[in-house]
Order: sequence, then C-alpha cells, then structure tokens
Amino acid sequence: MDYIIRIIPQMLEGSIVTAQVFFITIVLSIPLGVLLSLGRVSSIALLQKVIGLYVWLLRGTPLMLQLFFVYYALPAVGIRLDDFEAALVAFVLNYAAYFCEIFRAGIQSVPQGQYEAARTLGMDYVQTMRRIVLPQVFRLILPPVSNETITLVKDTSLVYVLAMNDLMRTTRNLVQRDFDITPFLVAALFYLVATLLLTMLFERLEKRFSRYDQ
Amino acid sequence: MMNKIEARNICKQFQNLEVLKGIDLEVAEGEVVAVIGPSGGGKSTLLRCLNKLETIDRGSIVIDGETLVKDTSSGVEYAPEKDSRRIACKMGMVFQQFNLFPHMTVLENLIEAPVQVQKRNKEEVIREAEALLAKVGLLDKRDVYPRKLSGGQQQRVAIARALAMKPSIMLFDEPTSSLDPELTGEVLKTMRELAEEKMTMVVVTHEMGFAREVATKVVFMADGHVQAQGTPQEIFENPSNERLKAFLNVILK
Ligand SMILES: Nc1ncnc2c1ncn2[C@@H]1O[C@H](COP(=O)(O)OP(=O)(O)OP(=O)(O)O)[C@@H](O)[C@H]1O
Ligand SMILES: [Mg+2]
Repeated sequence: MDYIIRIIPQMLEGSIVTAQVFFITIVLSIPLGVLLSLGRVSSIALLQKVIGLYVWLLRGTPLMLQLFFVYYALPAVGIRLDDFEAALVAFVLNYAAYFCEIFRAGIQSVPQGQYEAARTLGMDYVQTMRRIVLPQVFRLILPPVSNETITLVKDTSLVYVLAMNDLMRTTRNLVQRDFDITPFLVAALFYLVATLLLTMLFERLEKRFSRYDQ
Repeated sequence: MMNKIEARNICKQFQNLEVLKGIDLEVAEGEVVAVIGPSGGGKSTLLRCLNKLETIDRGSIVIDGETLVKDTSSGVEYAPEKDSRRIACKMGMVFQQFNLFPHMTVLENLIEAPVQVQKRNKEEVIREAEALLAKVGLLDKRDVYPRKLSGGQQQRVAIARALAMKPSIMLFDEPTSSLDPELTGEVLKTMRELAEEKMTMVVVTHEMGFAREVATKVVFMADGHVQAQGTPQEIFENPSNERLKAFLNVILK
C-alpha cells in the first residue's frame, strides 16, 4: 500500500500527458469529423470522393503507422513536429475519419421527409442542418461516439512509441525500475476509472437526448 | 380575381419515366381544389413541383403573382434560390407522413420556422401558435413530443405548423392516407374548417367524400395528364371522361 501511494504522483503526472492527448483529440476531431461528414453527404461529387479516399486511408492503416508517418516521414517534406504535436496530428486526423463515418451514417438515417418539411417551411441548408438534422443525428450517434471515445482512452497509450511520458510509459518505467508489477495494476485502474466516467457521462447524455423518444 | 396558383404546361420526367406531361392548373383565391386519380398518376409529383421539392423540366409556375419558374427557349429558368425559397414557402405543405420534427415539442415545431426563417418576434409567434393549437384542439399537447401523439393528432399539429407561417395557400398530399380510419375524421374536420375560412387549398386525396363536399373544383389526373376537371357535381354526378368513369367505378364501389 505504501508503495502504491509512493508511485501515484508519478503516475498522475503520466496521466496528464494521456489526458491532454485525449481531450485535445476529442475537441478537434469531432468538429472536423462533422465537417468531413457534411462534405461526404454533399452533392459535390469530387468532395465526396476525396473524403471517401481520406476515410479509407485513415481507417485502413494502423494508427501506430500513422503516428510513425507523421513523426518520421513528414520531416522529409519539411514539416517537423515535436512528439506531442505529431501525436496530436495523427490522432486528430485518424479519429476525424472514424467520426466522419459515424456522422455520415447518422445524417443519412434522418428521413428525407425531415429535409422536405424544413424546405417547405423556408429553411435554408444551414438552418436545416443546424436546427433539424444535426440535433437528431446527435442522439443517434451517441452510442457509437461513446464507443469511439472509450477506444481513444486506450489508444492514447500508443504515444508510447514516440517515447512520450504518458501513463503507459511511466508505468513501464516504474515496473522496470522497481521489479514490481503493481504499477501495471494501478495503471489498469486508472484506465478503468477514466472509461467508467466516460460511460456514465454518455449514459446521461443519451438520457437527455432521448427524452423525446419515450 | 387573381389566381393564387398558375401552373402552365408542367412537364416532369424521372430518368425515363415521364410523370407529368403538360399539366395546367389554376387555383383562384379561396378555392379548394381536390386532386384525385389512380396511384402513380403523378399527383404527389405535381404538388412537389409547385413548391419546388422537385424541379420541372418544362413549363411555368406563378404563385400569388410571383414567378417561381418560367419557360424559355433553352429550358426552364427558376427565380434565384433565395426568391424561390420565399415564393415556395407561401405554400404550406402537409405530408402523408406528417414529418414533424421529433426532437422538438409541439409548440417548438410550430414556432421554429416563424422565428428562424421569418425572424418574427418570439413572444408574438408563441401567442399565435397557441391560438393555432387551440384551433386544432391540441393546446393541451403544447409541450409534448410528437411521438407521444396519435397519427391524427400529429397531422393536426403538422397543419398548425404549416399555418404558423401564415401561408397564402395550403397544399395537402394525402393527409389522411396513413391514418387509421377512426382518426381521419378529426383531420378532415380541421381541413373543412380551413376551407370555411376561405383558405386556398390544393388537396390530393382518396377521400371522395371530402372532394365531393368541400372542394370547389375537382381535378382528375391519370397518366400524367389532367383528364377531367370541374365542379364536384360535374365530376361525380355526370362524368363524361371514360377513364374518370372507370376510376370512380372502382373507388366508389
Ligand atoms: N423521386 C423519384 N424518382 C423516380 N421516380 C419517381 C420519383 N417520385 C415519383 N416517381 C414515380 O413517378 C410516378 C408518379 O408518382 P407520384 O407519387 O406523383 O404518383 P401519385 O399520383 O402521387 O400516386 P399515389 O396515389 O400512389 O401517391 C410513379 O410511377 C413513381 O414511381
Ligand atoms: Mg402520392
């Protein structure tokens, strides 16, 4: 027990990096995903294709490969990012692709009649999307977004490969230093608490957004 | 008297399917036009062309004296997007499937467009919306979500929502066709009251009773043409057109 209390400060420090990657990725990739999905369902064929290709590339290759690519390959074309920035770029681009597909499916499941009703009431594209379609989409997509978010908590551990001192690397260092596997258990607990909090948050959101369903 | 709707030579094709083959439709102020005809005859398509849910291939449409679309030698020319949206929403539309916004309460459904589109004062719009709800007998459902309502109630809300925009014309596309028989009455009653207030209406319907008793003019459409039109008397009591006779025989049996 003493040992656990001693290592907790260091592990919390590692958690800060993990939390930063997580929150910044969420805050940037969701809006980017919304924009991409709007392009994906737009009537502009070229835009649809380009975004389709983007989604295919980013969902079709491992996130770890994308991390390496941003960190090691981009400098070759003159884009040099430090490890934190590189991690964020890779995470945001990757998660935006997943969110794009979730939102696309959500948007396409809103019945045509909703668009038509909005049109006959004189609403323009922006009003229709903002007031009628997206609010309905948000309710539909909460479960898959919740899944994706929980996956992200765990995916953040991939920044390990860029030698960032996140929760995972801190844990591993402690284990190697002290020849004790307790830090692994504590780390598991940290991840579990984070995903539990998120699960509870999304349950509340789902309840709020589904009030018109009951 | 000026016509509220003047549609000339409307032609509309879906891929290879010619659905409207030169339709003329005139609707005078205060008229209630019932559009009847066999399934697939293009009735819904005609309504949807009037408010630009579908664009036409040829012909012209003038609403309330404003040109929505005109024929030119090189095809049709629509009014600019903003104007055509404004012209189209002079017509309130009621759909077979209601199409209420499920994430909004009844009241929110009504005030959404007047506030967001017409930028009218919210308090005033709410007062008017409540009056409309009272009129369709649903004021007590003001804060309920659509899913909690019966089909007939939803359709009456949809009518009130369209009226909240103060349209000068109301279009109905089979407003009672997806309702259980015992619920059609309440919707027809609301429409009847609208007609009595001299609202200009175009109603696509299979309710021959409504067409006969409420319509001032009946239009019979089949195969993309207006086959016959006239007063309910002329259409139902003395049909001269063969297709119309056959249609009435089947439907009034
Ligand atoms: N968006 C579309 N794309 C292709 N074909 C269509 C489309 N909309 C309608 N049609 C076709 O056009 C024809 C006329 O359809 P419309 O819905 O106007 O008929 P209707 O008279 O309203 O029939 P009903 O009484 O069944 O509602 C039908 O054959 C229909 O399949
Ligand atoms: Mg129809």
